[in-house]
Amino acid sequence: MFQLRYPHLSMTLVSGLLTLYSITTNAAEAKESVQEPLELRQQIERLQQDYQSQIDALKKRLDEGHPSSVAKTNNSQQSSSLRIGLSGLFAAGGSSVDNATLANLQAGGHDPKQNGFTLQNVELSIAGTVDNYLDAQANLIFLMNPKGETVMELEEAFFITRNLPGGLQIKGGQYYTEFGRQNKQHPHTWGFVDQPVILSRFFGGDGLRSQGARVSWLMPTDTYSELTFGMQNAKGETVTSFLNAEGEEIGGYTLTDRRARNSADLLYSARWLSGIDLSDNLSMNVGVSGLWGPNASGSTTNTEVVGADLYFKWQPAYSQKGYPFVAWHTEFLQRRYEAGDVAREILKDQGYFTQVLWGFKPGWIAGLRWEDANADGDTSNDPVRDSRQRLSPNLTWYTSEYSKVRLQYNRDWAEHLPNKTADSVWLQVEFSLGSHMAHTF
Amino acid sequence: MKISYKYFLWLLSFSLWSGSVYAALQVETTTQDLAAIAKAVGGEHIHVHSLTPGTRDPHFAVAKPSMIRKVYGADLLLLVGADMEIGWLPSLLQSARNSRVQPGNPGYLDLSEAVPLLGKIQGPVSRDMGDVHAKGNPHYWLDPRNGVRMAKTIAIRLGQLDPEHATEYQKNVELFEKTLKTKLQGWKKTLQHLKEKPVIAYHRSFVYLAEAFGFRIVDEVEPKPGMTPSAASLAKLIARIKNEQIDLLIMEPYYERRSARYLNEKTGLQIAVIPQSVGAQTGINTYIDLFDNIVKNLKAKGAN
Repeated sequence: MFQLRYPHLSMTLVSGLLTLYSITTNAAEAKESVQEPLELRQQIERLQQDYQSQIDALKKRLDEGHPSSVAKTNNSQQSSSLRIGLSGLFAAGGSSVDNATLANLQAGGHDPKQNGFTLQNVELSIAGTVDNYLDAQANLIFLMNPKGETVMELEEAFFITRNLPGGLQIKGGQYYTEFGRQNKQHPHTWGFVDQPVILSRFFGGDGLRSQGARVSWLMPTDTYSELTFGMQNAKGETVTSFLNAEGEEIGGYTLTDRRARNSADLLYSARWLSGIDLSDNLSMNVGVSGLWGPNASGSTTNTEVVGADLYFKWQPAYSQKGYPFVAWHTEFLQRRYEAGDVAREILKDQGYFTQVLWGFKPGWIAGLRWEDANADGDTSNDPVRDSRQRLSPNLTWYTSEYSKVRLQYNRDWAEHLPNKTADSVWLQVEFSLGSHMAHTF
Repeated sequence: MKISYKYFLWLLSFSLWSGSVYAALQVETTTQDLAAIAKAVGGEHIHVHSLTPGTRDPHFAVAKPSMIRKVYGADLLLLVGADMEIGWLPSLLQSARNSRVQPGNPGYLDLSEAVPLLGKIQGPVSRDMGDVHAKGNPHYWLDPRNGVRMAKTIAIRLGQLDPEHATEYQKNVELFEKTLKTKLQGWKKTLQHLKEKPVIAYHRSFVYLAEAFGFRIVDEVEPKPGMTPSAASLAKLIARIKNEQIDLLIMEPYYERRSARYLNEKTGLQIAVIPQSVGAQTGINTYIDLFDNIVKNLKAKGAN
């Protein structure tokens, strides 16, 4: 993760990127933020486009008997387009516990974690086709930390191959590891305002992501079945259960500045994902994932994480705008952490979350999530390894495809808390500008 | 260990030539309308499958894993275009890793480019305008004349991908055109009473149908495309219905019926729930079935 500690610098960067955004798209939303010469240029461009489209329409009439010639001219325009989007996620709310305690309960990097307002995540996403061989995408994240500083992260920047033979696909760069279902998802697509406890514990506040490459194979079976193998750097604060960052602590062990010496010191990941349509209205995903890599509690210590995920989605034959639907998502995770060169203590942690989202009428979704996380041994005073449960009902209203309002209540049970329980309420608002975001399955 | 290695190699080699094992062209379509037209043109020489069912609004589909598998095996992908599939097709195409059906390649056919689109927006487009498609209204398959244009375009493309049967595709499309033209005369006669009639639609999806049969869509139940009607917007609509003596509302089967029933109670407005796509109701299996059904539903409506 790369942090900018100079708010004015990052603001310049933001405004620069926004200007870029307004030039590269002809979207009219950006018109307020643009200076006059740009506006003139845009008007000229718009006029040109108008004439062009009129000419095209006339051409089309001429070509009506020979439609294929029209198709050729327009295809090339489409594939060169860039998809640019900016989404903002804000939260407000409060809890029965103070900010310091709350920071432990809401351990996700984008979770609301203070009484009052939180800017959870502003994400600038740029994606498109590079050439005949590659697609590429970059996601830049801006957020305000509790100190009020603007933090910028290069969340992801990766390429992905377009047409390798045999159902193979390679992805490389900085990207979210394909482990389970939720790790790869960006905060604005989550069904809840915060990250599941077990994911925060194993993968840190920002999810498991690093630099590396992976190859995936779409198997030639009748139903969808995909195998993915990856290698990534194990070092950095977004690779929490592995080499992580120097000085961090786990189970009483302080992490050293261990670095990769050879290929055995990298993070290896594997995933198998299968998708089956049980009927026209019911689909299922089953996945199994594993991670193997070194950890920095010793010089030869290793970590292993395994997980299973299950997802069902039901939608009736007649549905308006994708509603009604019921989506049930469950993930189990288990970690085996060898701690300390001398002690070689095996720290075992596990947990799961299960959540149901019910879209009961267009735009309206009711959600319920139950989570449990714990570790073997006495960990009652450790806020990241104690026995912990959370129940979160919520209600989301999508005002359109591009904005939403969400209200969520969290009931926490945690051993490390003096009162053992905490209650929090969060209100979340999201907006998105620019390109149409992909609908998530 | 040795066995699984062999198995892996076997699967790998199978996957490498799996694209060529099927004699018939594999055609995937984003909607059942496209599948029906493609089937009429391709006949027995193609395998057609629609990624979404006709009962659902194709704009709000999601890229399910089973769809990835289907697109991976496709030789030709037919889409409605004009941003209809914008929410799911780009990510589906990326996951499907099939170069044959990527934009710009012969296996990718956007049929919005084969028809004159209505409702293109000149000048700035704002999301404040609702769910508008700047490239034009994408519900163009609801004009039978566009069906002919689409069929012709599909026939040309099928002929390019499968030259061996090109003449047969041409023959099929000629037959399709002839049948459709004869049918159209009958349909127009049956719907004579709707000529120049003001009609209200639920969503902005019947402009092509209106163009084909000569009625006028003067307003929509949705205050802006994609926006759920409110009490205030319905009150305004009721005033207009009474003022201009509008007596017909047409809507797709998948929209909520409450607003329509309310309008009917307040004004006596007749409601015609008409299938917008092949597969929208049982028994609608071909493009001709679709219009037979639409016409049947509209036959007794709006006559006073």
